[in-house]
Amino acid sequence: MRMIKALTAIAAMVLIAACSSNSDQQQAAAATTTVTPGSVADFRQNVGDRVFFDTDMSTVNDQGRQTLNRQAEWLKKYSNYQVTIEGHCDERGTREYNLALGERRANAARQYLIGQGIPAARLKTISYGKERPDPVGSDEAAWARNRRAVSALQ
Amino acid sequence: MAAFGMKLSSVMKILPSRLALLLAFALPTAAAAQRGDVYTEDRLNQLQQSITMMTGQIEQLQHRNAQLQQQLEKMQTDYEYRIEQLEKGGGGGGRPAPRPGAQAAAPAPSAAPSHGGGSADQLYDDAFKKLQEGDYAGAERGFKTFVQRNPQNKLAGNAQYWLGETYYARRDYQNAMTAFAEGYKAYKASPKGPDNLLKLGITMAALNRKSDACAIFARFSQDYPRATDLQKRRIDQERQKNGCG
Amino acid sequence: MKLPRRLTMMGGVALAAGTTMPARAQLTIDMTRPSFEPVPIAIVDFKGDAVGAQMAGVIRNDLQNSGLFRVIPPGSYIQQNVDATAPPQFPSWRQVGAAGLVVGQVASSGGNIKVDFRLWDVVVGQQATGLSFTSQPSNWRRLAHIIADAIYKRVTGEEGYFDTRVAYVSESGPGNNRTKRIAIMDQDGANNRYITDGRTIALTPRFSPTLQEIVYMAYGENNTPPRVYLQNVDSGRRELLGNFPGMSFAPRFSPDGTKVVMSISADGNSDLYEMDVRGRQLRRLTNTPAIDTSPCYSNDGSQIVFNSDRGGAQQLYVMSAGGGGERRISFGEGRYATPVWSPRGDFIAFTKISSGGFGIGVMRPDGSGERMLSSGFLVEGPTWAPNGRVLMFFRGQPSGAGRAGAVTIHQVDITGRFERQVPTPTDASDPAWSPLIPQ
Repeated sequence: MRMIKALTAIAAMVLIAACSSNSDQQQAAAATTTVTPGSVADFRQNVGDRVFFDTDMSTVNDQGRQTLNRQAEWLKKYSNYQVTIEGHCDERGTREYNLALGERRANAARQYLIGQGIPAARLKTISYGKERPDPVGSDEAAWARNRRAVSALQ
Repeated sequence: MAAFGMKLSSVMKILPSRLALLLAFALPTAAAAQRGDVYTEDRLNQLQQSITMMTGQIEQLQHRNAQLQQQLEKMQTDYEYRIEQLEKGGGGGGRPAPRPGAQAAAPAPSAAPSHGGGSADQLYDDAFKKLQEGDYAGAERGFKTFVQRNPQNKLAGNAQYWLGETYYARRDYQNAMTAFAEGYKAYKASPKGPDNLLKLGITMAALNRKSDACAIFARFSQDYPRATDLQKRRIDQERQKNGCG
Repeated sequence: MKLPRRLTMMGGVALAAGTTMPARAQLTIDMTRPSFEPVPIAIVDFKGDAVGAQMAGVIRNDLQNSGLFRVIPPGSYIQQNVDATAPPQFPSWRQVGAAGLVVGQVASSGGNIKVDFRLWDVVVGQQATGLSFTSQPSNWRRLAHIIADAIYKRVTGEEGYFDTRVAYVSESGPGNNRTKRIAIMDQDGANNRYITDGRTIALTPRFSPTLQEIVYMAYGENNTPPRVYLQNVDSGRRELLGNFPGMSFAPRFSPDGTKVVMSISADGNSDLYEMDVRGRQLRRLTNTPAIDTSPCYSNDGSQIVFNSDRGGAQQLYVMSAGGGGERRISFGEGRYATPVWSPRGDFIAFTKISSGGFGIGVMRPDGSGERMLSSGFLVEGPTWAPNGRVLMFFRGQPSGAGRAGAVTIHQVDITGRFERQVPTPTDASDPAWSPLIPQ
């Protein structure tokens, strides 16, 4: 009896997983075709709203620069947007230190964008430390995605 | 200790030179900063990281240096004690020292009763043992009693010096300074005289009275022209450390 | 809900029988010895009122949780009916293996309750201590904790810590959008209540020395950066402690309550500042291009310990309370964080992060004598009981499949023994232990 229950649970999980990945793909497919240029969705999907950092580091790496270069170009084109850059950390640090580290990361991304010609007045920062993980998880892959600076448009 | 001190100071010299090298790399790039602030920012970040790394290294070296110094001071005390035991055995009674152990010498019949005899020696040895064991308060009491009771004893200058050391070991620099100053005044010619004056200067420096410390170090060569090379070298090091002219 | 009013202490040690007894082996405990047996103790339900049984339950729980006592289960007591004022039948208590026996009496007097208790030394057949209190009936839990403190003190020779509170961060909701609000509870997990509403994330609460106020950090509405708030616990009135352009965080009271030290960040860099609570003057304490945070005053208020990554990785530094004279004290393998000075001044507790995971440890204020007390996937944020003998910290489990791992508060004694989970109604982190509640 218990065995059957467990099996149905697994089956359900597989189904959900299948569904979500399906819809992801659909969304992605839709994105490239139907997203309005200059929209928040356009920024997220075609420019990339986040850059990633190495453990305990707050310097923007090469890949991050490419993303920020694209962000700068896009922001110059659509100058009606204000940006709040959110700094985040993985969970492998203490709470207060991570708040400070997240701030340092957000600031590094901000400085880079200013260097690319975005007016400082358009760029605010906020740190969430390790309080807002995305994705939620406790493995190397999740941690790498969590050491991030996300440019949120307003 | 001298060897390590030199090593550390040379490391300290290397670090700034590495920094200068980094600056040399960074500056031409800064000149080309027209290409964008990003590159300057980058170089500054790299410099920042280098400084941070060096700060960490310096902290580690200072820590290791302090540890070694402690170890060495303990060894030095032990070493000086052994030498003193040898000298005592060989000098005072006119007999060769049987062992560098106090108890063996104490009951010797030839111990001259004129200068306090066995009981004074016993008091001194007990106090010294306490010093070695790190019982500084006990050692302080012992040496104090010794000096009060036997101000003319040939070991009185030594006892006064070690009394100062009991304070110094506890970082009670005020009392240490008083004790070393008293030692200099009353027992200038004692075999411990040079060490006593050296330590007086070091204690003054620890109390942040640098110019007084320098004056003391300056007096050293006049008062003790025949000090050992080790002592002279130590004075030179201290003068350098405290920026004496 | 209100915090208990001031307790009226009546009689004090009035019941104690004349002279003090000489120290005896069984009802005393020498905590300086590396190993000791917990003291077997029997606690009879207090007579006279229904709340008496509940009070006995609170006392049993406090003493058992300290690890220093072994509470003998009431079911095994031979003498069922013990007079609260007359000597008990000592042989029957020896027979159940008790070294100490606690009896008590509750009586109502003019809207208040009066509680008498006695601790009998069963081994020698004499009274060890006794006290009498009068207070409002709603204060019965506090009275029980105060009695437990008196027993703890009589047996160990150390001040107790049961009549205290803990502020912490209550966590609930999905892993990527957790609600984090400040809560306060009694040291044993009772009387839980919320201090912030949870609309924005609030973290790192700390009690003022009088327990009337707490400082904490909270985000503003519409994702504005975190700032430090000072809030009155009873009235709920809160005020901003300085309005700075950057984030301000990691606030801690000075031992005399006149100052708050905190981190303020500008252009991505965090330094330490001291704020005078009355005059609101701000004074800068550190000025480095590194992250300086998690400060804590020494017990005498003369120094501050904090963590900084100025040397590459987080390490602990001590400086004078007015700034200056900074020196690093941690030199072991790994990173060191969240230092907290013991109320006795003899140790600094910290979080240590090494390749193997997280640990909670203590070292002397000069950095020597490092000792680890607990470890795990995530253990963080030690806080001291007012007697400097027991610590709390929080423990996190790994997250998985989008769900946040459980976060719980734990207690451990300074030797690393008697670790246990402190019950909380929700997931809980960032505990901050209060001083003893003023009586």
